[in-house]
Amino acid sequence: MGKKPEPKQKVILPPQLPPEVSEDEIEVSDEDLDFVRENRDYAGLISALDTQSITKHVTRVADTKEDDLEALYEKRMKKNALKKETEESSLQVDRVEALPVKTLDGKLYYRTVSKTENGSAQEETGGDTTDGDADKGLVKLSKAERRAKLKKMKKEAKKHGKEVANTEVQPASQAAVLAEVKQELTAEEAFENKKLKLAELGNALLTNPESNIKLLKEMIQIAKENDQSIVKLGLLSLLAVFKDIIPGYRIRLLTEKELEMKVSKTVKKMRYYESTLLSAYKAYLQRLIDLEHQPLFQHVAVRCICTLLDANPHFNFRQILLGTVVNNISSTNDAIRKLCCSTIKSLFINDGKHGGEATVEAVRLIADQVKAHNCQLHPESIEVFLSLSFDVDLRKSEKADDDHRVKNKKNKKRKNMDESNQLQQNERKKSKQELMSKMREEVEADYKAASFTPDIMEQRQMQSETLSAVFETYFRVLKHTMESTAVRPEANSGTSSDAVGSHPLLAPCLKGLAKFSHLIDLDFMNDLMIHLKKLASGSSNSGNTSDKLPKCLTVSERLQCCIVAFKVMRNNLDALNVDLQDFFVHLYNLLLEYRPGRDEGEVLAEALKMMLCEDKQHDMQKTAAFIKRLATISVCFGSPESMAALVTVKHLLQKNVKCRNLLENDTGGGSIAGLIPKYQPNSTDPSLSGAFASVLWELNLLSKHYHPAISTIASAISNMSAAHNQVFLSNISPQQALKNMSLEQELLSPQSGSIKLNNKRKRANGATPSASTGCTADSSSFDEDELRKKLASHFMLLHDIKENERLRRELDKTTMSLELYKQYKKQKKQGSKTKSKA
Amino acid sequence: MRPLDETETTAVFEKLFKFVGNNLKNIVENPSHEGPDSNSGRYCFRLNKNKIYYVSESLVKRATNIARPNLVSLGTCIGKYTHGGSFHLTVQALNLLAANAKHKVWLKPQSEMSFLYGNHVLKSALGRITENIAPGDGVVVFSMSDVPLGFGVAAKSTQDCRKLDPNGIVVLHQADIEGSQKSSQPQHI
Repeated sequence: MGKKPEPKQKVILPPQLPPEVSEDEIEVSDEDLDFVRENRDYAGLISALDTQSITKHVTRVADTKEDDLEALYEKRMKKNALKKETEESSLQVDRVEALPVKTLDGKLYYRTVSKTENGSAQEETGGDTTDGDADKGLVKLSKAERRAKLKKMKKEAKKHGKEVANTEVQPASQAAVLAEVKQELTAEEAFENKKLKLAELGNALLTNPESNIKLLKEMIQIAKENDQSIVKLGLLSLLAVFKDIIPGYRIRLLTEKELEMKVSKTVKKMRYYESTLLSAYKAYLQRLIDLEHQPLFQHVAVRCICTLLDANPHFNFRQILLGTVVNNISSTNDAIRKLCCSTIKSLFINDGKHGGEATVEAVRLIADQVKAHNCQLHPESIEVFLSLSFDVDLRKSEKADDDHRVKNKKNKKRKNMDESNQLQQNERKKSKQELMSKMREEVEADYKAASFTPDIMEQRQMQSETLSAVFETYFRVLKHTMESTAVRPEANSGTSSDAVGSHPLLAPCLKGLAKFSHLIDLDFMNDLMIHLKKLASGSSNSGNTSDKLPKCLTVSERLQCCIVAFKVMRNNLDALNVDLQDFFVHLYNLLLEYRPGRDEGEVLAEALKMMLCEDKQHDMQKTAAFIKRLATISVCFGSPESMAALVTVKHLLQKNVKCRNLLENDTGGGSIAGLIPKYQPNSTDPSLSGAFASVLWELNLLSKHYHPAISTIASAISNMSAAHNQVFLSNISPQQALKNMSLEQELLSPQSGSIKLNNKRKRANGATPSASTGCTADSSSFDEDELRKKLASHFMLLHDIKENERLRRELDKTTMSLELYKQYKKQKKQGSKTKSKA
Repeated sequence: MRPLDETETTAVFEKLFKFVGNNLKNIVENPSHEGPDSNSGRYCFRLNKNKIYYVSESLVKRATNIARPNLVSLGTCIGKYTHGGSFHLTVQALNLLAANAKHKVWLKPQSEMSFLYGNHVLKSALGRITENIAPGDGVVVFSMSDVPLGFGVAAKSTQDCRKLDPNGIVVLHQADIEGSQKSSQPQHI
């Protein structure tokens, strides 16, 4: 305790006083020191044994605070005691039982059965764990110390090697005993043992993978056994081990030439380690893939594969992993599919981990998968593309590089000019500078090789490959949908069984197209727009039959098509302002087909926002037609949808001053009414509907809407013409409005119900007759059901009673008749008797 | 004044179809609210002195009162037959075309006058353009505030317009509201 911490350079010397380690060593005088110095050869052993613990101690004392000191010492005492114990026990107990298991409490258990190989492993792990402790304990090591330590480690490793060699001879002799003992064990104990063994092996591998790499094979052997739970455990523990010990590089198989070459011991060791790891990994993967086909193990196997792929996308056999993951990506099992999808997603997101190669492979595999299954996959399998990210700046950065180069050249020239004068004066300086520049270049080259900065060209190529695969998939889905819709009318409604899933991939495909539209080549754009237009028109040729044929695209899907077309246009084609008239026509007609319950309100709101609110230019006639139609449908929609529609109407009216004529009380529309003198509500073309000939009378109705928000906005719109030239743009978008309203509705719905009831109670003949009648109808129907039940039970009871009575009556009758018959017989007998007598 | 014969009808309809596409149906079936009849009649095409007129039926009936040589005009003149025997639309048809146009081009304000002086529409003048215009389609030209200015023939498709240089011709001028002389000159189709 009282010892000062040594100056650290002197560690090679025999240590001063490792206090409290053991009493014997405490007294070391200067003479001793001298002695040791003189006879260093003899002292070598001692120093080899002790320096480690001493350095540990010294540094610990130096680094830890006083509070921790006591705890530290306590721990050490315990450890020492344990060590002694184990030593003793190892002396006493015979070799088979020599391996104690330490629980978390620190107690030791002696196992009755174990293989001797394990024994060595355990010993090693013991040693290694203390090494590990030492590592942790030594916070700051000087170089000298580190070197010394390394040497020691090597020595230890050698020793271990010898030990392993020794112990490996033994198993043959022990095998017989082992077998006997094994037979005696019950199944449960065997299971427990296996578990323990797995834990041990795993622990050993984790603590020192280099020397214990052989144990992998043993673990794999365990994983190949028949017991289901053991196999699962084995797989999972192997997973944990592999996840930890797989190196951060790809292992390359050695060429023959390399094999022939002589290498140092460390390299040999490394090679051995790598090849064993690789073969074990391969065996493990094979096992996993075999098991993946068995329904019992599928989940575990897929989970292992996913985790492996996620953790080590750079490592060997990636293709196999990717293949299995992609195969399972549209599995019918929810859990498996989610696992696979999330793995692929993380693969896409962290593509720095594998340099993007895995991304390309995965995307290509998914594309092939889609092709093979003819677009009949789960939507999630395409949704993963959404997490792809493409670096648009690659080309830019290259340009910047070019600029740099040019600049550098200029600079160099200037420099050369400047320097030439000086250099003539001093030749030596020149040579020195050349040397410097050479060195710098070399260093730069090394740095580039080591830093793994991805080559820009390569990266670009990979990106374009990925993109082409993604778009191939998207176009395939579109085409497939087109074909299936085209075939439909001919195919009739006979095959309506697969109606729902006929194009499951369309929705994610459209989403993806909207997201990556800025990356599409302009040449494809035309085709894309044509496809989208056809899809958006959907079944407009057979417009009325769309409800009858469930196979047709739904309204939301068609709306989505319109939205995507607009997004594509907006992202790419800012330069040329193109009017997407056809899509407006489709939207105009889709508004009528929209049903609040059936279709998604969010999609409608998004379409309104994208197509009407954000589009800059509008045909006047078209705008008026849209305003009129939106007002019309907002009368019959639920409050969220009508709110969205009204917000759009307001927006359009604010932007288009001329359309405010719709608010005037002047039918006929005046001079701007155009050719069509009469409003045609059923017209399919917005510019031919003659909306200017009508008036927005719907607003008057809506201002009496039961929902306060809608009535306010309706009256605000109808007052707009009075407040002329007021530049007041509402910031709220239709989407936002819809969301707000639907949220509000959800919150209000239980309350509003109770309010209604209250109202009803208060005013028996309610102000809103339709609502009240609805309510009463509801309640009556509710009552009817119960009444019917009660009546039925009552009727059954009555029926039973009656039946009972009837049966009884019949019984009585029969008994009566029987008795009568008996009497009659008696009488007959008597009669005959009397006759005979007579 | 007489109804068109078959060849004349196809010629007129083909020309109109180039501009209005399927909306031709609207033009033909457009109900007229002229005349004393309570049930609205239709519009029809009549030929008078090499000119084609778009007239409501009630007006046709009344026009029969006037002798052919004395009848100068009736309804809307939409085009005429040239001496070569081909049919040309005149600028008077603009109102009809603009209401039903399938392909439209909007001009930037600064280039409106250039068009009205009889120049072709250049790419730099384009404010907006409808998609899917094919070369040879009839195009109605509007100002940015949706006032029809004239019509012409598309020289380039919408797709090609993207790559066109700013001085490339997009729409060939046929007729405009400034001076209708152009319509009497030999035309591009």
